Amino acid sequence: MSAATNDTVIDVRELRKTYRTPFRRKKVEALRGISFSVQRGHIFGFVGPNGAGKTTTIRTLMGLIRPTSGSATILGHTIPSRVAREKVGFLPESPYFYDYLTIGELLDLAGRLFGQSAATRKQRADALIERVGLDRARSQSLKKFSKGMLQRAGLAQALMNDPEVVVLDEPTSGLDPIGRKEVRDLILELRDQGKTVLFSSHILTDIEAIADQVAIVARGSLQSLGTPAELVKRTVLGFELKVRIAADAAVDSLTAGASRVRRVNDELALTLGAETDIDAWLERAHAAGAKVLAVEPRHETLEDLFMRQIAGADAATEGGM
Amino acid sequence: MLGRIWAIALNTFREAARIRVLYGIVVLVVGANLLAIVLGQMSFHEEQRVARDIGLAGISLFGSLTAIFLGVFLLYTEVQRRTIHAIVSKPIERWEFVVGKYLGMAVVLTILVALFAVAMAGMLTWQGVGVSSAVVKAVVLAWFEVLTVAAIAIFFSSFSTPFLSGIFALAMWGLGRVTPDIEAAIEHGSAWIKATARIALEIVPDIHLFSPSGRIVEGATVTVHADFITWGYVGLASLHAFGWIVGLLAIACLLFQRRDFS
Repeated sequence: MSAATNDTVIDVRELRKTYRTPFRRKKVEALRGISFSVQRGHIFGFVGPNGAGKTTTIRTLMGLIRPTSGSATILGHTIPSRVAREKVGFLPESPYFYDYLTIGELLDLAGRLFGQSAATRKQRADALIERVGLDRARSQSLKKFSKGMLQRAGLAQALMNDPEVVVLDEPTSGLDPIGRKEVRDLILELRDQGKTVLFSSHILTDIEAIADQVAIVARGSLQSLGTPAELVKRTVLGFELKVRIAADAAVDSLTAGASRVRRVNDELALTLGAETDIDAWLERAHAAGAKVLAVEPRHETLEDLFMRQIAGADAATEGGM
Repeated sequence: MLGRIWAIALNTFREAARIRVLYGIVVLVVGANLLAIVLGQMSFHEEQRVARDIGLAGISLFGSLTAIFLGVFLLYTEVQRRTIHAIVSKPIERWEFVVGKYLGMAVVLTILVALFAVAMAGMLTWQGVGVSSAVVKAVVLAWFEVLTVAAIAIFFSSFSTPFLSGIFALAMWGLGRVTPDIEAAIEHGSAWIKATARIALEIVPDIHLFSPSGRIVEGATVTVHADFITWGYVGLASLHAFGWIVGLLAIACLLFQRRDFS
């Protein structure tokens, strides 16, 4: 599914992780042979429902979990690798930090772990605190931070070492729309600086908007991998139409065969299938005295693909049981 | 490497310094020393012995209990609260993290033992006894005991819950304190008692070495009430403590290395 090249920054091969439940010793397969690679300077979006294996994959890459089998490299170093971690920035899912520290002290601790000098630590911390918009919260302990502020603090500590690779587990989780946009802008800015970003998210629009490559995972397996354009079919799935009707008598003929109809006063919003002869329908509308306000072909979105893949994975797993 | 260990130690010190129970323990030890004055007055010309015994027992008992408390919670809560995720994903080896945690705890415990010792010295001076070199040596031995107990707690905490770690650490500390009785069981007990006692002696540190009053060393009864403990004895005891601390931390690091942080 993937082939490592000189530009490959992260290479994951047949990664498997099997847990045993504490008492009954039942096997739980969190990862079932995931393979993919991430190229230098790309934004790689990792998407899947809860329990799909996204966080397990990321934690394995970061050395928090040991894989049952398979292998992975970051910047050519087989994980777990301390040398690789020097060049990687990591934001854990729902980050928990020492709540008695201030943002400055948290970044100072991170800088110390990266072996930075006191002057570098101060300079980086000041710049990052300003970049993530926490300047006003400098004197507060993290205990008083909101979830969004903690997420920003997490992003700042992930960038303390000016990393080549940035791994973000659900970076937009818990953020309001403005916060989400700021994180998306930050990820794009990191790519513009030549950094490679791997991030996971539940929010498909975030992935679709900024990812160069997308991996859909479900039930511990990779379902799809490619660019958003490769993954999403450009075929027309149907039509979204909006018309203003002149008389109620026209409603039945216009809505025949529609999968969804919504009427507000004299305006009708319809969804018609791809098999509809749209020219014939428009002629009928004109003949009935209706004014056509909008005709929009509906293409497959990442969300459609995602829902299809998840349903397929669920069916395959249940069939195998 | 040293910078990373120091960073963890410094952070552990900050964390422990915020635990209010520790301040309560300091107040308790000061109170115990004041009680020693009262009990001394009630004794029959044994004021000095009572004062020293209670003062030293306070350091040993409260120091060791604090070491168990810190040891079983500080490492476990890192995993439980997932604060460890943002730490071990940085270029730090897990053994450096465990050693840093221990050193941070050791600094806190050293400060506590120093405060306990100052309280005891104040009480002895008030009693007109003064601080003899035997008492200084006894305090140094108690400090070794506390540091060894901290390593025991960290060792159990590297693979177990705080509740179980606390029970195991208390049991090991208790057994280590009665090694002369275990040795006696080997001489006089039945076959299975002898076998059990021999195993116990092998797997627990000889903590009684650090509170040697009443122990026979080189044919003489050791006491902290006279200068019968030599600095050579203190040196040997420190080697015993150092050996156990290094051994326990090494095993803790190996166990911690294998853990998954889900």
